Amino acid sequence: MRDVLRLSVPLALWLAGFSGVYALQGLTCSRHWPEDLPARPALLVGWALAVLLQAVLLWLISRDPSPSRFVQGTSLALAAVSLLAAAWTSMPVALTSTCL
Amino acid sequence: MFALGGVLAMLIRAQLASPHSAFMGPEVYNQVFTMHGTVMMFLFAIPFFEAMTVYLLPGMLGTRDMAYPRLSAYGFWCYLIGAATMVVALVLGLAPADGWFMYPPLTSTEYSPGINADVWLLAITFIEVSAIAAAVEVVVTVLRYRAAGMSLSRMPIFAWYILVVAVMILTAFPPMILGSVLLETERALDWPFFQVDKGGDALLWQHLFWLFGHPEVYIIFLPAAGMIATILPVMARTTLLGYGWVVGAAVSLAVLSFGLWVHHMFTTGIPHMGLAFFSAASTLVAVPTAVQIFAWIGTLWKGRPELHLPMLWILGFFATFVIGGLTGVMLAVVPFNWQVHDTHFVVAHLHYVLIGGYVFPMVAAVYYFLPIITGRTRFFKLGEVAFWLVVPGFHVTFLAVHLVGLLGMRRRIWTYAPEDGWAIINLVASVGGFVTAIGFALIVVDIAVNAAVASRGRRNPWGAGTLEWATAIPSPSYNVASIPEVRGRYPLHDDPEIAVRIARGEGYLSWPTRKRRETLVVGTSRAEPLQVAVLPGNDGLPFVMAVATAVVFLAPLWDAYRTAGVALLVVIALALRWAWSNGSTRDEGPLDAGRGTSLPSAWEVPDPPGWWGSLFLLLADATMFGSLLFGYAFLWTVAPAWPPASYVAPGLLDVLLALVGAAALAAGPRLAARALLASRGPWIGLLVALAGAGALTAAAASIWAARPDPTSHAYDATLWLLGGFVALHTTLAAIILAYVCFRVAAGYASSVRIGETRIAQLWCDFAGSTGLVALAAAWLPGVFA
Repeated sequence: MRDVLRLSVPLALWLAGFSGVYALQGLTCSRHWPEDLPARPALLVGWALAVLLQAVLLWLISRDPSPSRFVQGTSLALAAVSLLAAAWTSMPVALTSTCL
Repeated sequence: MFALGGVLAMLIRAQLASPHSAFMGPEVYNQVFTMHGTVMMFLFAIPFFEAMTVYLLPGMLGTRDMAYPRLSAYGFWCYLIGAATMVVALVLGLAPADGWFMYPPLTSTEYSPGINADVWLLAITFIEVSAIAAAVEVVVTVLRYRAAGMSLSRMPIFAWYILVVAVMILTAFPPMILGSVLLETERALDWPFFQVDKGGDALLWQHLFWLFGHPEVYIIFLPAAGMIATILPVMARTTLLGYGWVVGAAVSLAVLSFGLWVHHMFTTGIPHMGLAFFSAASTLVAVPTAVQIFAWIGTLWKGRPELHLPMLWILGFFATFVIGGLTGVMLAVVPFNWQVHDTHFVVAHLHYVLIGGYVFPMVAAVYYFLPIITGRTRFFKLGEVAFWLVVPGFHVTFLAVHLVGLLGMRRRIWTYAPEDGWAIINLVASVGGFVTAIGFALIVVDIAVNAAVASRGRRNPWGAGTLEWATAIPSPSYNVASIPEVRGRYPLHDDPEIAVRIARGEGYLSWPTRKRRETLVVGTSRAEPLQVAVLPGNDGLPFVMAVATAVVFLAPLWDAYRTAGVALLVVIALALRWAWSNGSTRDEGPLDAGRGTSLPSAWEVPDPPGWWGSLFLLLADATMFGSLLFGYAFLWTVAPAWPPASYVAPGLLDVLLALVGAAALAAGPRLAARALLASRGPWIGLLVALAGAGALTAAAASIWAARPDPTSHAYDATLWLLGGFVALHTTLAAIILAYVCFRVAAGYASSVRIGETRIAQLWCDFAGSTGLVALAAAWLPGVFA
């Protein structure tokens, strides 16, 4: 089961991070967000945390290899994909208008 | 079902073939296009690959059957009854007419009176029971029921794909099931989840639907991709290039597809940043798709392809799917999407993806596996003629539909005027559509004729390397006479004698010395033999239970809620009867599994097959719970008529009941299991857990007491639903705990037979943890307010 988790956790956490950043963006545009608190820094922090989490996972998977070469290679590739996906899919927090 | 969907498609093309057509009126046309989409997506695409999987997967894995054969039967009967309901509704003019995605407020009682929309909501939800059932058993079968030595790296590539798809079903279907529950509750009881003036929001439905609907596209595509990755190397007389990369691409595609749902909602006024997230994710999925396509092209390159009929259909897939993929990338670009949203361009794109990416590979799969199913070698060559009708006919149709969409023809319009300038293009599309339909009819004739009268064939006619071809054809119901030990990805190539060895009984569990149906359970990763599982015999229970389940879902169509309640009690009773037939009242000890190995029975381990099934069913349940919390947060954040007049705040007693209840639910089953391990009675632990379930239910009920009118505001309706979720799961936990009590009393538990207590522990943990989170979500706004 550890091998199955190794293969599935990075992408699952990408999805959680992606959804979290999207939810945060929704929150910053809602009536609940304090007017004097700027949204973009909060979103940038959310993005950075999502990327950092993936980097840590990639490091952990490379540090504690699976006995199976196939599982190790594939899980490393999937962790790298998750890192790239986290960087790419939340990049709009730095590039586009927040609530327009 | 494919034929029915096809006939409905031809009715649509007949209607649109000429301007101002009098062939159908708008009411009938609305039902026809809604049912075409519904039939193709829910009644054909998913059930068809699930059926192929249930039939072929055990053979591929070298095991005797799926993990839960009775669950297969139950799912089949649920599907059949649900599908029959939809078809009867169509014949009676009671079919839904709001499009296959059923957007409110069009589907509210105000704009869709009558039971047409209810038929969709209730029957489709019922059918999804079968999809969830199949998904649970596919996951458990792939992870635990394989040939010895078939480690993750040696699994047939189709097993990887279908494992990924099954997990997707478990996580994608619950949001839609929840959406259907919310909409049906609004229609039947006036709980205002989608009514803006009462704190609801119609966009919530779109989020819940597309949280399911976009992964659904990949749920449909990936099994077909698995078939291509299986068939293509055989046709090319080589092995799959980049097995690990293809597995990685399939897993990536599956998960990334969950980050795309909003790209169906680009025109709903979502802020640009939100659109950009989903545009970025939408372009990203092209990468793993391309990895697979290049792996398949590379496989062709390194092999020596032969142009048999399955290969012809795969080439049809390449030509079609790549175009569908490219138009998908176009639609991922927001400004272009705004221009063509709800036009026939989108219709053409989705047909290129679904027919090119699913139907063509599945036709290839049917022809490829036909010898296993019929035991015959194809002789009559109607299939080749059919191919040359279907593929060109399809492209004529849908290239024209692309064009007419770019010219501005909207979807779901029942007619158009001559001066719109769409007449000739539509006529061309309709002619192409009818040619395609004739081609598909020829395929049916070809398969029927060859299945009936072609000559008997030999084993493994394609020279494949995977285990499903190691049996006699047609494959026997038990698949393998003995369970082999494999040492590579292509066992038939590694050991050409393996089919004979299996038939000779040189594998595991070759002789039925214990006079029951047994199969091997292996380790998840390395596939080392772990347990001997006992499969059930033939049983009418699944059919009876499916009928009772049908009553639960369909009686509300006639407002017969009491009948539905009685049927629910019957379902519970039958489920308990079902579970009772498992297990043993004595410890059997290690069993001779053959090849000099002794293994425990699956009844005498802490993680029996039922534990694994529960684990993955609870994954679906957790997704449902997450979707409910998402809906609550969405309304709290976005819905215009929020905040409500007041929030509910808990009393000290309510909080204590919740905390103590959850703690008792967590501790009780553990105490019971520990007592069993020490050969003591588990009664104290079980009673503690039962008391915990009662306390948590009381805490949930306090919410209902505090807000007695769920029809007044979406907040109140959501609170009722959260409380209902908690109460449902504490009740389930209590039923399971009571069942374990009776089982212990009847002698079905011992110091080694603790599996059922561990299953109860899973359900109690879930009820306790989700109960605490649900109650916290209900109470926290009131606490902070």
